[in-house]
Amino acid sequence: MDNALPTGKLSRGKVVGKALLKIGAKKTKRFVTNGDKTQNHEEIADIIFDALGALKGVSVKIAQQIALGMPFLPPAYLEKISKSFNAIPSINKALVRKIIKTELGLYPQDAFDTFEMTAFAAASLGQVHLATKDGERLAVKVQYPGIKKSIESDMSLIHFGMKRFAKGQNVDHIVGEIEARLYEEVDYVLEAKNCDFFRENLQIKNIIIPEVYHDLSSEKVLTTSYLEGLDFDTYLLANPSQESRDAYAQLIFDSFFHALYKLKSIHADPNPGNFLFMQGGKLGLIDFGCVKKVEDDFLQMYNQLHINLLQDNDDLSIIQQYIKLGMIEEEGEEKMLKFYTEVIKPLDTLYKEPLVGDSYNFKDNPDFAKRGFEMIFEVQQKQFHSVHKLNEQFLFINRTLLGYYALFEKMGARIETGYVKKLLKEYR
Amino acid sequence: MKITQSAKEKTKIKILQSAVDLIIEKGFDNASLREMAKNAGVSNPTIYNYFPSKEKLLYAYIEQKHKESIASIQEIEDFHTYTLREQLQTLIETELELYLEDREFIIQIADMVFHASGLKMGKLYETNALFIDTVDEMLSIAIEAEEIAKPPFREHIAKLFWDYYIMVVAYWVKDDSEMFENTTQFIDHSLGLADAVLHSDILSKASDLGMFFFKTHMLNSLQKFASKKDSFNLIKRKLGDVLHG
Repeated sequence: MDNALPTGKLSRGKVVGKALLKIGAKKTKRFVTNGDKTQNHEEIADIIFDALGALKGVSVKIAQQIALGMPFLPPAYLEKISKSFNAIPSINKALVRKIIKTELGLYPQDAFDTFEMTAFAAASLGQVHLATKDGERLAVKVQYPGIKKSIESDMSLIHFGMKRFAKGQNVDHIVGEIEARLYEEVDYVLEAKNCDFFRENLQIKNIIIPEVYHDLSSEKVLTTSYLEGLDFDTYLLANPSQESRDAYAQLIFDSFFHALYKLKSIHADPNPGNFLFMQGGKLGLIDFGCVKKVEDDFLQMYNQLHINLLQDNDDLSIIQQYIKLGMIEEEGEEKMLKFYTEVIKPLDTLYKEPLVGDSYNFKDNPDFAKRGFEMIFEVQQKQFHSVHKLNEQFLFINRTLLGYYALFEKMGARIETGYVKKLLKEYR
Repeated sequence: MKITQSAKEKTKIKILQSAVDLIIEKGFDNASLREMAKNAGVSNPTIYNYFPSKEKLLYAYIEQKHKESIASIQEIEDFHTYTLREQLQTLIETELELYLEDREFIIQIADMVFHASGLKMGKLYETNALFIDTVDEMLSIAIEAEEIAKPPFREHIAKLFWDYYIMVVAYWVKDDSEMFENTTQFIDHSLGLADAVLHSDILSKASDLGMFFFKTHMLNSLQKFASKKDSFNLIKRKLGDVLHG
C-alpha cells in the first residue's frame, strides 16, 4: 500500500507503543535468563530502530540522531543508519509543484527557467532538484510538508519510550539535543544563513561552498548553486590514487580545525553525503543543516586540554582541565582518578592518537573506528549514569571528529598534523 | 453592437470577482446582485443576463475555477510524464491554490452546502462536467498507456473522484494548520491509497470487497463534514447509484 506515513499522534503512538511492549518482553527475558548484556542492548536498539523505521519521515532522522547520540549502539547500526537516509518517502511531482508554489509564490516553470521534477538526490527530510535560471545551474532542496509538526509529537513519544527503558540513564539531554537539532535541520532559513557564513569565511584553497539564492529560498525550499562532483562512495569506487585520497582527507581534516579555531563554528555532521569530490582536487561542502557554534571560553579550555594531552602531562593536571570543562565532577582525588582512568582516559587516548605524531596513516590502523566504537561501548557499560555530566560541546566536537576519522579509515588515507598543531599552538 | 466572446468572458470574470468580494464582505444572504453589478461597473440588466440568480453565480464561479486550473495544468510542459496519481493530485492542488485567495467565500459556500439549507448539493453536481471530463481523460490515457488496468466501474470512477474532491474541499475548509499543510498531507496520503487500489487489481479481483472498503471509508469521512442529513443522504444516494449501477 505505497509508502504512506502513519499519520496522527495516535497511529504513530501505536507503532511506538508496540516497540515498547517488545522491549519490555526483552527486559523480562533477560531478567529471567540473566543472559548476555551486550546482546540485549543490541536487541533493544534493534527494536527501537525498527519501530522508528516503520514510522518513516522524521522518525528516520530521529533514529539516526539517537544512534549518533547514544554511542552504546554497536557499529552494525551505522550501516543501517546510512541506508535509512533514502527511506524517507519521496515527494511526487504534484507535491513538488505545490510546495514550490506555496513557498516561492510561483509554479516551478515560472520561478525557474527549467526545473526537473524528478529529484536527483535525497536530502535529510527532503529531496534535491536540478533547475536552471539565467544560465546558472541550481540545486533546489524541497522539504516534505508537515515535517516540523511531526517532530514534536514524535519526540514526545520517543522521550517517553526511552525514559522507561533507559535503565535509569538520564536521556533528557539526548532527547533535547536531538529535538533542537531536528528543528534546526528543517529550518532552511537558518541553513541558508549558515551556508552564507561558511562561504564568506571559510577561505581555504580547494574548498567550494555553494551560493545561496535567497530570492528563490524560504523556510522549506533552499536554492543554491549546483556543484558537480562525485559522492563519497562513487569516488572510492573509481579507485582514486593514494595522493588524491591523502589530499582529500587532509583537506577535510584541516578545514574542520580551521573552522573550529578561526570561525568558532563546525560543520558538525560527519555524514559523507555532505561532501562532493569535484574535479581538480576540489571538495564541495554541502548541507549546512547542522552547524555548531563554539563558545570562546570553551574553546580556550578545549585547546589547553589538548596541548596538555599532547605533551603527555600527568593525569592530575589533566583532570583539572576536565573539571574546568565540566567533564569531571570535583570530588576526592582518588574518586576523580578512578573516573578519569576508567572513563575519560581511554577516550582521550583514542582521540589524540592521530594527533600525536607529525602524520598518521589510517591505512596502518584499519581498525581505528572499530576500536573507537568498542571503547565508547565499553565505557558506557561501566558508567552509564555519567553521560549527563559530559560537556555537550566537547562531545559534539569529538563525535564529529570520530566520524571524520572513520571516513579517513575507509579512504585508507594518511594525514599530516602540522597545520592543526599550528592552529592549536597559536590559539589564545 | 455585437459583443465578442472574449469580451463576454472578461465581463463575466469581472462580475464574478466583485461578487466574491462582496459576499466575503457582507455574507451570501446580504450581498445583492444590484450591489455586485454596481461594484463590477455593469448595469442591472447586464448582471441578470449573465446570472439570473445568486446561486447561478456560485456555480459559474466553480466552473470558472475548473477552467483556470485546467489552463494552469496545460502550461506544464512535461505533464505527460506525470503518473496518473500525480496528474490527479496536481488537478486538486491547483484548484485549491486558486481557492486560496477566495477562501472566506469558499467557506461560506461549504457552509451552505453542508449545514444550511441555502444550497442544494445536487446542483453542485451540475458544475462538474469540465472537471469530470478532465479526470476521465487522464484515466483514459493511463489505461491506454497501460499504466493501470481498466478498472471495473470504469465509467463511474471520474464521478467518484469528484465526490472525493468535494471531501477534500470540506477538509480544507476546516483545516487550521499552517499553510494548510494538513490538507496537503491528507491529499497525498489518500491519493496514495486510491492509487494503490487502482494498481493492485483489487477492484477486479474482489470488486465487492474493494468497493465496500472504498465506500465505507469515504462515506465515514463525508459524514464528519455533513451535519445536515439531507446533503449526506444525497451523497450517499449518489454514491449508491454509482456503485450499484
